[in-house]
Amino acid sequence: MYGVLGIFALMALYPLFFVLITSLKSPAEYVSNKLLMPQSPTFGNFYHVWVKGNMLRYFVNSCILIPSGLVVYLFVCITAGFAFGRLRFPHRFPLFLAVLFLMIFPQMLLSIQIFQICRKLHLVNSYLGLILVWVAYFGPFGTYIMTTYYATVPMEIVESARLDGTGVYRMLYYIMVPIAKPMIIIIVVIGTQSMWNELPFSLLLLQTEQLRTITQGLGMLQGQYGLDDTTLSASILSASLVPLLLFVFFQRQITMGSYSGAVKG
Amino acid sequence: MKSEARESYLLIAPLMLLLLVFILYPVLANVYLSFFKWKGLGKATFIGFANYRTMFKDETFWVSIKNTMVLLLYIPLGVMLPILISALLREGLKGWSIFRAIIYIPNILGYVIMGMISSIMFRKLGPLNNVLVGVGLKSLALDWLSIPKLTLNTLGLVYGVWLRLGFGCIFFLAAMSSIDESLYDAAKIDGALWWRTFWNVTVPSIRFSIEFWVVLSFIEILARAFPFIYTFSRGGPGFATFTLEYGIYNEGFVAFNMGYASTWASVLFVVCAVIACFQVALMRKNSDVQ
Repeated sequence: MYGVLGIFALMALYPLFFVLITSLKSPAEYVSNKLLMPQSPTFGNFYHVWVKGNMLRYFVNSCILIPSGLVVYLFVCITAGFAFGRLRFPHRFPLFLAVLFLMIFPQMLLSIQIFQICRKLHLVNSYLGLILVWVAYFGPFGTYIMTTYYATVPMEIVESARLDGTGVYRMLYYIMVPIAKPMIIIIVVIGTQSMWNELPFSLLLLQTEQLRTITQGLGMLQGQYGLDDTTLSASILSASLVPLLLFVFFQRQITMGSYSGAVKG
Repeated sequence: MKSEARESYLLIAPLMLLLLVFILYPVLANVYLSFFKWKGLGKATFIGFANYRTMFKDETFWVSIKNTMVLLLYIPLGVMLPILISALLREGLKGWSIFRAIIYIPNILGYVIMGMISSIMFRKLGPLNNVLVGVGLKSLALDWLSIPKLTLNTLGLVYGVWLRLGFGCIFFLAAMSSIDESLYDAAKIDGALWWRTFWNVTVPSIRFSIEFWVVLSFIEILARAFPFIYTFSRGGPGFATFTLEYGIYNEGFVAFNMGYASTWASVLFVVCAVIACFQVALMRKNSDVQ
C-alpha cells in the first residue's frame, strides 16, 4: 500500500525536482547528464532569464497586476455573495443560477468577442481591461463560495442589525466582512492562483512585450527554437515561485477551497 | 423592504454587469457571427449556413472532435484512480497529510507550468527516455511528442488523469470523511472483503461527489485544456492534439477567420451549455442557498 502511494508521490514530486536540478546545470552539462545531480551547480540560467531575459520584468508585472485584480475580485465576490446569500429580493434565485451557469464556458470560446469588446472600449494592452475580464471569468466561483458561506450566517444577525437601524452597506462593512474572514482568505488564495496561472486572456489582451505576465511570458517560450531546456527550467522555476509559496503558507485554505465548491475557475 | 431590493441589486450590479459584457454577450454574439464571413476587422458579410457547411466538410474539425472524444475516454480512469487512492488513505495510513500535500503539487503549479514541464519530460532526448534506456527498456523509449496517436494518448493520461490526481484525492478524502464509520464496522462483522466493502459502502456513500467529479472532468477536458495543450504540444504534431477549443484559437487567432472560428465556438457552446446544466443542478444540491 505504501509502495503504491510512494510511486504516486514520486510522480507528483519528481517533475518539480527535475526542473530544479536542470535549472542549475549548464546547457553543456545537461547534454551528457540528464538525470543526476549537477556536478558543478551554476546560477547562469537564472542570470540568463532574469537579467538578460525578461523574466524579472514579467515577474514584477504579475506582482502589480494580480494584487490590483484581487481588490476588484474581492469587492465583486463579497458584495454579490452577501446579497445572494443573505438578502431577499425578487428574482434572486434565478439570477444566482444564471451566475453559476455562466462560469464554465471555455476562455477560447469567449475570447473572439472579448477581444472585440476590449478594442472598442480601448482596453487592449491595458491592465484594467485584463482585470475586468479576469473578474468576470473567475468572479462567479468566488461569489459561489461567498454565497454558500453567507447562507449559513444566522438570519438573526441581519435582523438585529437592522433593528438597530444599521443600513445594508454598513452591515456589510462592519459585520459581514469581518465574520467571513476565513472564507475571504480562501477566495484570495483561489483568486491569486487562478490569475497567476491564467494564459489565454493575457495572450489576447497584453500584446506588448513590456506588459506581459510571467505565466504568459513562460507560455510564449514554448516552441521557440534555440532555447535550452536548462534555460527553460530556470524560467519555469521562476514562474513557480509564487504558487509554491502560496501553497506552503496556505495549504489548509487551498485544500478547504477545493472541496467547498470543487470547480476551479 | 423596497429599499432592500434596491440595495441588493446595487450589490450584485458589479458582478452582473461584468458577466453581461464579458461572458453573456460574447457567448450570444458568437452564435450570431457564425453566420458571417468576417476577418475580425472591417465589415462582416452575412453568408447564412456557409460556415457550417464548410465546417462539416473540414477534416480538421472532425479530427478535433475525435481527439476530444479520445481525451474524454480517459475520464473513467481519472475518476477511479483518485477514489481508490483515497479509499486506501482513509484506512488511517500514517503520514497521509504529507502525502496529500505532495500529490497536490501539480495542481498548485497550474496548467501552463505543468504543460511546460511535461513537454520537457517527454522530449525524445528527455529524462523519461533516459530512465527507460537506463533500466533496459530501450524499446519503450519512444518519440512521445512526434507520433500523433502517442502524443494524444500521452496528453490524455497526463492531463486527464495524472494532473488532477492530487486534487481528486483531497476531494474524495473530504467526501469519505463524512461516511458513517458504523457502516464499515457492520461490513467487517459480516466478514466482507476490502473490495466488497469498497463497492457496497464507500462508493454508494460518496455518490454525489463522484457525480460532481465526473462533471468536473468533462469541464476540464472540454473547457479548460487550452493552456495545457498550448504549452505541452501546441496542438501538434500536425493536428494530433487539436481539440474544439484549440481549433477556435487556431482559426480565430492564427488564421484570423473570426466568423468561421465563431462557428466552431457555437458547437462548443452547445456542448458546454449541456454540461453547465448538469453542473448547476449539482451545485444547487450542494449548497444551502434556496
